[in-house]
Amino acid sequence: MSQRTMELEVMRYRPEMDDKPFFQTYSVPCEEEWVVLDALNYVKDEMDRTLSYRWSCHMFVCGSCGMVINGEPKLACKAFLRDYDGKIRIEPLHNFPIERDLVIVQDDFIEKLESVKPYIIPKQEKPLSEGEYLQTPAQLKAYKQYSMCMNCLLCYSACPQYGLEEKFVGPAALALAHRYNMDSRDVGRSAREHVVASHDGIWACSFVGACSQVCPKDVDPAGAIQQVKFSSAVDYLTSFLPGGKR
Amino acid sequence: MSRKPYHREMSKTTWFLKQSRYQHYMLHEISSIFVAIYVGVLIVGLFRLAQGPDAWAGWLAAVTSPIGVIFHIIVFIFAIIHTTSWFKAVPQAMRIQRGEEIVPGKLIIGAHYGVWAAVSVVVLLVAGVA
Repeated sequence: MSQRTMELEVMRYRPEMDDKPFFQTYSVPCEEEWVVLDALNYVKDEMDRTLSYRWSCHMFVCGSCGMVINGEPKLACKAFLRDYDGKIRIEPLHNFPIERDLVIVQDDFIEKLESVKPYIIPKQEKPLSEGEYLQTPAQLKAYKQYSMCMNCLLCYSACPQYGLEEKFVGPAALALAHRYNMDSRDVGRSAREHVVASHDGIWACSFVGACSQVCPKDVDPAGAIQQVKFSSAVDYLTSFLPGGKR
Repeated sequence: MSRKPYHREMSKTTWFLKQSRYQHYMLHEISSIFVAIYVGVLIVGLFRLAQGPDAWAGWLAAVTSPIGVIFHIIVFIFAIIHTTSWFKAVPQAMRIQRGEEIVPGKLIIGAHYGVWAAVSVVVLLVAGVA
């Protein structure tokens, strides 16, 4: 195993003593197979215990270690050091307030996620004794892609629309609303509509598409939003037909 | 301990200069302005046609003048940018499921180019160019 020294420029913000963030550079002896998260863990363990950042699984499952690495929103556990030259600039995710160092305030997203009711709303609750809700592979395929979202928030960091207009419900929450709308066991589309099909919902998206480009799970939130726009527009137009609901 | 989150503001006027993907987005948004202007020019042409042979000849002379040709080349470049960038995005908005498979995006994009080529040939035939 070969080692090389990497310069980590890490954005620091300690609310009890700093008025604004600044960059602190750490020279870290890195192993060849390390990811950015390994380098941060080395800093935390061996160099500076005051550095704060979120992480949990270190295996591309939990979605906790999202940060902006050399200007690109990425998971630190998936950003291999071998893909970078000697210097790496690490910032907290954009478009969120900074709580401390690389830790962002997620409250706004959590509220928005709750607002789209991200759970199955069945037509009729049935007791456990009646068994599971059955689903064909084709029915699973209809929403599976969108169910891969792990709320890592890279999409919100990449989305200029969210950066410019905080009220925008945003990519992941809308993709997850679509995920449940597309689920054959769910009948909650109309219950989600007042948030999803609102001015601050899908219609605030101008289809920059950056969310889908940075998504580590290929969820394609931008695609989900455009599909909901189409079905929402169809809803609107059919409401003018005889018997249509307005 | 009280919290003191730090807010970073995104520039409302220069945000799209920060990343190449934002610049591409702006380019394909701006291309729509040129498409709209050209639609306007064509509508003016229709009105001139309705006004009689002299008015039509004047419009025709304007669009075939050197400045008119340069204008056409510029609009053509932006129309190509507009069309290709939207075609590229179509599979995201048009997700077609057949059984357990999703129809590949390349097929959907290819079909769009095919229809585009066919319509162009028909227009050229009707115009008597080809």
